[in-house]
Amino acid sequence: MKISLESLRPCLDGAIPAVVATSAQDGTPNVAYASQVHFVDAEHVALSYQFFSKTRENVLAHPYAQVQVVEPGSFRHFRLKLHYIRTETEGPLFEYMKAQLAGIAAQTHMDKVFVLRGADIYRVLDIESVDPHIPPPPPPSDALLSLRRTLDRLGDTTDLSDLADRGLAALTAGFGIRHALLLMLDEAGAALYTLGSLGYPDSGIGAEVKVGEGLIGVAARERIPIRINYRTGDYAYQTAMRATHATEPRIPLPVLANPHSRIAVPLIHGGRLLGVLYAESEHDAFFSHADEDALVIYARHLAALVAQAACEPDDAEPAHDEPATRPTGAPLAVRYFAADHSVFIDNDYLIKGVAGSILWTLLNEHARNGRRDFCNRELRRDPRLPLPDFGDNLETRLILLQRRLAERCPTIALEKTGRGRFRLNIGRPLQLSA
Amino acid sequence: MSVQLTVEQTAFLQGPLSMNVGAVGRDGWPCVCRAQGVMVARDRRTLTVLLSASRGRALIDAVDAGSGITLVVSRPSTHATLQLKASAATRATTGAAQRACSARCVAAFADELKGLGYGAGLEQALAALLPTDDLLALRFAPEIVFDQTPGPDAGRVLART
Repeated sequence: MKISLESLRPCLDGAIPAVVATSAQDGTPNVAYASQVHFVDAEHVALSYQFFSKTRENVLAHPYAQVQVVEPGSFRHFRLKLHYIRTETEGPLFEYMKAQLAGIAAQTHMDKVFVLRGADIYRVLDIESVDPHIPPPPPPSDALLSLRRTLDRLGDTTDLSDLADRGLAALTAGFGIRHALLLMLDEAGAALYTLGSLGYPDSGIGAEVKVGEGLIGVAARERIPIRINYRTGDYAYQTAMRATHATEPRIPLPVLANPHSRIAVPLIHGGRLLGVLYAESEHDAFFSHADEDALVIYARHLAALVAQAACEPDDAEPAHDEPATRPTGAPLAVRYFAADHSVFIDNDYLIKGVAGSILWTLLNEHARNGRRDFCNRELRRDPRLPLPDFGDNLETRLILLQRRLAERCPTIALEKTGRGRFRLNIGRPLQLSA
Repeated sequence: MSVQLTVEQTAFLQGPLSMNVGAVGRDGWPCVCRAQGVMVARDRRTLTVLLSASRGRALIDAVDAGSGITLVVSRPSTHATLQLKASAATRATTGAAQRACSARCVAAFADELKGLGYGAGLEQALAALLPTDDLLALRFAPEIVFDQTPGPDAGRVLART
């Protein structure tokens, strides 16, 4: 029976080093270790090009190679006959391999040595099973079943807040994932902000990641899933954030200090990037190729639900404006900085950007005429808010603001009173300054 | 002419190693096979590499047809790697000494991998994969020795004729 390249994907995760044999023009053989043999599609693999080696010199002159890969668990060997086609030095495949190589390099303590210079693409002409008498390893967990369980748990809610929570919680039931984040792309498409989190001491709601920064940012920029199966210092967030934004107020991303496995999957719907689903684990090789496939499908489903939720019409009925009881107690000092729309409560940073601007507008409305009930439609038209003309992240910004307030300043609360409607509840007098 | 391996290189070849042999077939296709033992001659000028005849059929055919040979040996825990090449190799006899050598090399390799966390059942798996009952020996006199430890210096010539 012909062996498919797909069936060899477990061999292509870098768990056991592969070797590549090539021939010089004069027929002298060469064998070298290949750091990475990456599954591209059913007919192609890519080998990492890190140095100008004998292997590279040989394939440029005589474009044929044989790669020997080993299956984790069974140690069965397979030999692939390859024909070198081209080298890619940028783009999604290159970025994926660069991220994955960082993980492999760290696992083998070669972090300083392994730097990707190119992805050498080969067509697979033949696959030989070297050990047909050895039984295959026990089958891995069924990713399709995991996906089904996750979707069952998610349900079909169209409430964004509910979706963010259930979308993450369902991952535990389905995939055993205990640490995950849901990040949404901001209005300018320059950064992602955390809307929901699972399994961290600090929720990190509101924490931002620039597009192109770290694993999440690269997955967003390239619009590709990226999976790293081993602990690596590359693509770490906290270090980079401490170094470059020491003075800027920001919410730390609540990720694990030393994750052994990580995966970032973009949320794409109708050709638009909406956000990124990120998951991580303390265990090596936690996410398989099949898990990656399943999580890509899950992220697409989530993205479709997010897009659908954003299209749901607001309630037509005007909100009943309930009179507020005058709050008592020591006043709460609320300070606003227009430059970045940041809001500080009693000198503690709360939020910035669009959400900060929304809060400041609401608090001023309330201070001016005692209003408590608001609707999304009026915010969309409010010239004081830096909302874009296209796209609509208002609902996710309100959820973010609501969650951030609940965590850091429960004295001020946003209560949902209907679709596209909410109420401002204030427990103490406010002292606003800008 | 062949190079004489250093005492250190000879000692390294006795250690727990991952070993692979390469050759180029008559049709120009390179081929590779995992080796399961290596013996260094007393004068340190000749090596006998052991492999399974059934697993290495294409490689053995290539060598029989006059291909050059290359042996790459790497210690998993340190990544220290040597590559030794010769323009030809010949078949050598196998017997109890070769079988004992192969069993010892495979066990040492399994032990090394176990220390790196490759999981239980490794000795049995590798012993089943690399049995000593269809051993074939290829003898060659290295003409050039490379340091192949991963990194920018990989490929440095350590000795040549």
